[in-house]
Amino acid sequence: MDLKKLAKEISLLLGVAVVLALVVNYFSLTGIALVGRWDTSQGVITAHAKNDVVVDKLNIENVKIAKLIYDSGKTLFVDARSRDNYDDGHIPGAVSMPVGEFNNLIDSFIDQHSVDQPIVTYCSGRTCADSHNLARLLMDFGFSDVKVFIDGFPEWKAEGYAIE
Amino acid sequence: MNKVMKNALENSWIELASRWILGLTFIYASYHKILAPADFAKIVYGYDLFPHIAINLIAIVLPFMELVAGLALILGIYPRSAVLIINGMLVAFIIILSINLIRGHEFDCGCFSIKKAGYLSSTEPMLVRDIIYLILGIQAFFFRGLRKGCVPFRH
Repeated sequence: MDLKKLAKEISLLLGVAVVLALVVNYFSLTGIALVGRWDTSQGVITAHAKNDVVVDKLNIENVKIAKLIYDSGKTLFVDARSRDNYDDGHIPGAVSMPVGEFNNLIDSFIDQHSVDQPIVTYCSGRTCADSHNLARLLMDFGFSDVKVFIDGFPEWKAEGYAIE
Repeated sequence: MNKVMKNALENSWIELASRWILGLTFIYASYHKILAPADFAKIVYGYDLFPHIAINLIAIVLPFMELVAGLALILGIYPRSAVLIINGMLVAFIIILSINLIRGHEFDCGCFSIKKAGYLSSTEPMLVRDIIYLILGIQAFFFRGLRKGCVPFRH
């Protein structure tokens, strides 16, 4: 077995792969940064893609603040998780809008709520970007006051707040 | 039994089938990862085995290793080296899946995009699948005869 030849060929193939990967990632519209944010203590995890939906300025990072906003009674909470997750338990009064079904649900949502309705979206916590995705979609449809409760339903439940 | 094994190792049609099955599988596997590297990066994160600083680099480079090695196998360019790369990846996948199976770690972020891309399979079938691929890869690597369907001047 010619190990030297094998090593040379492997280096060549891997070299082509690495160069191709970096070039395609650089030019791709869905390309990601070389380093992402994978520490949940810093926010919602993200690969920092060019088409990233995670926008930190929308974040409500504290469950107690989310509860205060909820208790004010003016804000509509919207659940971005799947229908099954919603049925298993959700924040009382929250509207279910699974992000994958957004196109089917948005028309009736618009009929029921004005675009200046304050909204808080949430999903399954800091490893889930669906609430940010939903927030962006709602803003694309003109909703101007949208925030994201990034700790989502698990933290709400863990805090002992009411669920239904 | 030994004779059957020897015949299988020396059968050029089995070698060709092994290379094509592995090649097509790895090209297909790279497709979603290249289109949506952010989703794949989240899967890499979900294994909970890699330093955070390496996650994006793995998500960027690994799919192209799959693509280049897969294409090389199909086209018959450096087939032994290409299959060695694929075998290396399969061994790594098997180790990663086994570690998470043993420690009972399964990642489900509850994310729509991850479910849509079909990334959430259970560990056991993935492990069995990778072991079968590795057997094909071993056959293709140790095959010593004339390989069919290869670029002739490359090996």
